[in-house]
Amino acid sequence: MTAAPTQASPSPKAADSAASYGPAGCAALLILLGSGVLWLVAAGLLALISSIQLHSPGFLAGCPILTYGRSQALAESAFIYGWFGNTGLAVALWILGRLAGEPLRASNWAITGALFWNLGLTIGLVGIAAGGETALPMLELPRYVQPLLLAAYAAVALGGVTAWTGRRREVMFASHWYAVAALFLFPWLFSVAQVMLLWYPVHGILQAIVAGWFAQGLWTLWIAPLSLAGAYYVVARMAGRVLPAYDSAAFGFWCLLLVGGWTGGRHLIGGPAPAWISTVAIGALFVLLFHYIVVVLNLRASFAGGGISMRFISFGVAAYALGGILDAVTGMRGVAVFTQFTHFDEAQRQLAIQGGATMMLFGALYFALPRIVGRPWASGGLVRGHLTLSALGILLLVACLGAAGWTQGWALNDPKTAFSAIAGLTHSWLLGATAARALLLLADIFLAVNFFWTLVCAAVGGEKEGAA
Amino acid sequence: MSAPENQDPRFDRAAFGDDQLVDAHETALKPKTDDQAHYSMRPLILLFILSGCVLFAAMYTIRYSGHFNYLIYDENEQATQTSAAVKIDPVAMGKRLFNTPSACVTCHQATGLGIAGTYPPLAGSEFVNGPDERIIRILLDGLKGPVTVKGTSFPGVTVMPSFGPSGFNWTDDKIADVLSYVRQEWGNKAPPVDAAKVAQIRQQVATHEAWTAEEILQIK
Amino acid sequence: MKSGPYFFVGLAAAFGMSWAGVMWSEAQLGRLAPYYDDIESASFPNRMPGNAAAGQLVYRDLGCASCHTQQVRRPGYGADVARGWGDRQSVARDYIFQPYVQLGWSRTGPDLTNLAGRKPAAPDADSLMRLLYSGQGGMPAYSFLFEDREVVGQASQYALKSTGGLTPAPGREIVPTERALDLVAYLLSLNTTYDYPEARPVPASGAGEKPIPASGGEIKPVPASGAADKSVPASGGGGAK
Repeated sequence: MTAAPTQASPSPKAADSAASYGPAGCAALLILLGSGVLWLVAAGLLALISSIQLHSPGFLAGCPILTYGRSQALAESAFIYGWFGNTGLAVALWILGRLAGEPLRASNWAITGALFWNLGLTIGLVGIAAGGETALPMLELPRYVQPLLLAAYAAVALGGVTAWTGRRREVMFASHWYAVAALFLFPWLFSVAQVMLLWYPVHGILQAIVAGWFAQGLWTLWIAPLSLAGAYYVVARMAGRVLPAYDSAAFGFWCLLLVGGWTGGRHLIGGPAPAWISTVAIGALFVLLFHYIVVVLNLRASFAGGGISMRFISFGVAAYALGGILDAVTGMRGVAVFTQFTHFDEAQRQLAIQGGATMMLFGALYFALPRIVGRPWASGGLVRGHLTLSALGILLLVACLGAAGWTQGWALNDPKTAFSAIAGLTHSWLLGATAARALLLLADIFLAVNFFWTLVCAAVGGEKEGAA
Repeated sequence: MSAPENQDPRFDRAAFGDDQLVDAHETALKPKTDDQAHYSMRPLILLFILSGCVLFAAMYTIRYSGHFNYLIYDENEQATQTSAAVKIDPVAMGKRLFNTPSACVTCHQATGLGIAGTYPPLAGSEFVNGPDERIIRILLDGLKGPVTVKGTSFPGVTVMPSFGPSGFNWTDDKIADVLSYVRQEWGNKAPPVDAAKVAQIRQQVATHEAWTAEEILQIK
Repeated sequence: MKSGPYFFVGLAAAFGMSWAGVMWSEAQLGRLAPYYDDIESASFPNRMPGNAAAGQLVYRDLGCASCHTQQVRRPGYGADVARGWGDRQSVARDYIFQPYVQLGWSRTGPDLTNLAGRKPAAPDADSLMRLLYSGQGGMPAYSFLFEDREVVGQASQYALKSTGGLTPAPGREIVPTERALDLVAYLLSLNTTYDYPEARPVPASGAGEKPIPASGGEIKPVPASGAADKSVPASGGGGAK
């Protein structure tokens, strides 16, 4: 309801009041953000463990709950459903609420949903550790928790959808498109994949086809849109002028949506699926290049800096675009023959998800939290430390995994190289990757400490501005 | 208004409020009057790029689609494979038929040497290596009575059964296959038998009773 | 984009299109039937025996697919066939009777599609048990799949024989649990030697071209158990491309 003053005042309290989301909405957002940050640290720890196990297989090998197959699944599930699920939803809800200009509705639903989402995820992770994983990439959670997650998600998303449908102005901004798309597409994607893979499984190779469709769909239709919603919003608000090339933004959006779901076949290149499936996916990866170009053109103001969030987002945009180009290049069959099944594939995934989407989300988080709690972040040093360590960590991780994968790929395709020799070739690169994971974990711990310190300061330090 | 300089990482000041954000971008998308005919290249360039991407994707897809055939795994394959018409090796089939229990192997043995005094050998047999009109007839109608093979005489106490309509009732393909197998096994070097030939002979001798050695030897 | 309902329809249409692509592949491959071979009078692939199906569940819950693939690429695209991981490319028909297809997405470990059909020597149950118990190279030890227990009465028939580094304390034996037995049964059922017409069988390698044993030879092979190559070439005149 408040019209923001033309010149933002130094304190977040006056300018962006909590009136936009009310106390219940505030609580919902903070629960989601807090859980997200905690899951980020947990996922970072699990990823560190699985990274160590890659070069030192004896590490925790006697522990059945942390055998590599399970620790890797745990890390991935915690990261995607814990970190992205919570934080992405929070950012989407916050942005939609702000753009709607009204307090978030259905906040109690959101709180309930957030709690059950995290409960379901916890049960699911325990299930994976106990031996119930589905061994499907990005869908490893045991099937008995997935309907719970779906219901919890719907409860949380309700607030966002009502903020969109109830918006005062009819016109939609780019963040609207991306956030609403993510809110709707995830349940559709998730439920269809559940049914086709877990409840009434399709036969044979179709399982791999549907699993590939789901994994790519989750990235292009959920994770990327959530991050882009945050990025567009923050960059536009901070830049203080219309995004350059905004007239093409809509085309970039629809390009992602129309084409993103077709890229699933890129995991089946050379595999036991008909050739057309991977061919179509490769074609789609090239059409998707247009989307990346549009995003870079629109968000290039972030490269000029202007604040910590802009720095995070600029890193994220650059990594996101680079990841897209790399996807197209490694989609070419002549390149895929070397990068498939190697650490290079993992490097690409980390570049896109850690480097691209996560950094953009960090930018949105650093922008949003002061406005939700009504006070700045507790420690500037921790913020800068987070940025530096994250950037370093991601660069190191991608470089080391990429080098390891490239070496591995060439060696795999040379029949004269005995398979047992390949581990020796990649050993030192994998050590570097572990070091990178440690840096990222430290960075995430900085974030978590800063986050909860800020909350404590806000709760203790005084009044939170918030109308009833 | 320009972007504020945010030196303090603990809080980023924004230049736009929410309403301004939406307003400005809505205005940006509205058609504007353009008195000086300013021409923005960017949309054209983007269109060009998009078209290029789509063109590449389309050409790639068409070239490597494998005709969208679910049996084509190699994207370089140009022609659709008629996987239904897989040719079966007649000799391999014939071997399997020969070894069917109580068909051929039981009497003539897997070595093709038969049993002395009872079942004639097939290895080096002049009947097997001779004109195929003879052995086709033997299979179609059977053989009775004494017969001499490779100088050894067999009294003919047991009768070779018919594999034609009055006996096992094998098809032309099966008779041709088993004969082709026998004619190249155990050192035999006779040309394979054609199913069409079997069909033709079947027409001629369909209901003949079991042949005797003399009758067979009269066939050229 | 001003109108909410149109936007929603656009979302649904965009999603629906890629889902339609999935359903198209379901239409093509959903009812893929086994291939009947006239000469052998049998259809391929074979269904998995019960304990192998249980073993696939163990494989799945331990997350073996995160290091091992089960897909052989065609000769000429990578060195899978040259490494002896398979005689031919894997095709969709190989997987129709597998309840949980474990294609895998990483080759930290070797490909397992044709583990039980590898030439010149496939690993046997004993060597696989040993491998699981002590690990090797990049593969961790899965000793929790085994029980180190006191010998009571007669030694178990399943106990791992002690050789080399694998020596239990005197009076004790190392016995595989049910899960280990199932897992090994599953691994020994991985055999895809039948040549489907669509798989373009590789011509048998001539003298001098020996495929390298996939593990670099450290898994001690046992002589092939005399299982002759059952698949007779199905193609007639050898002009098939």
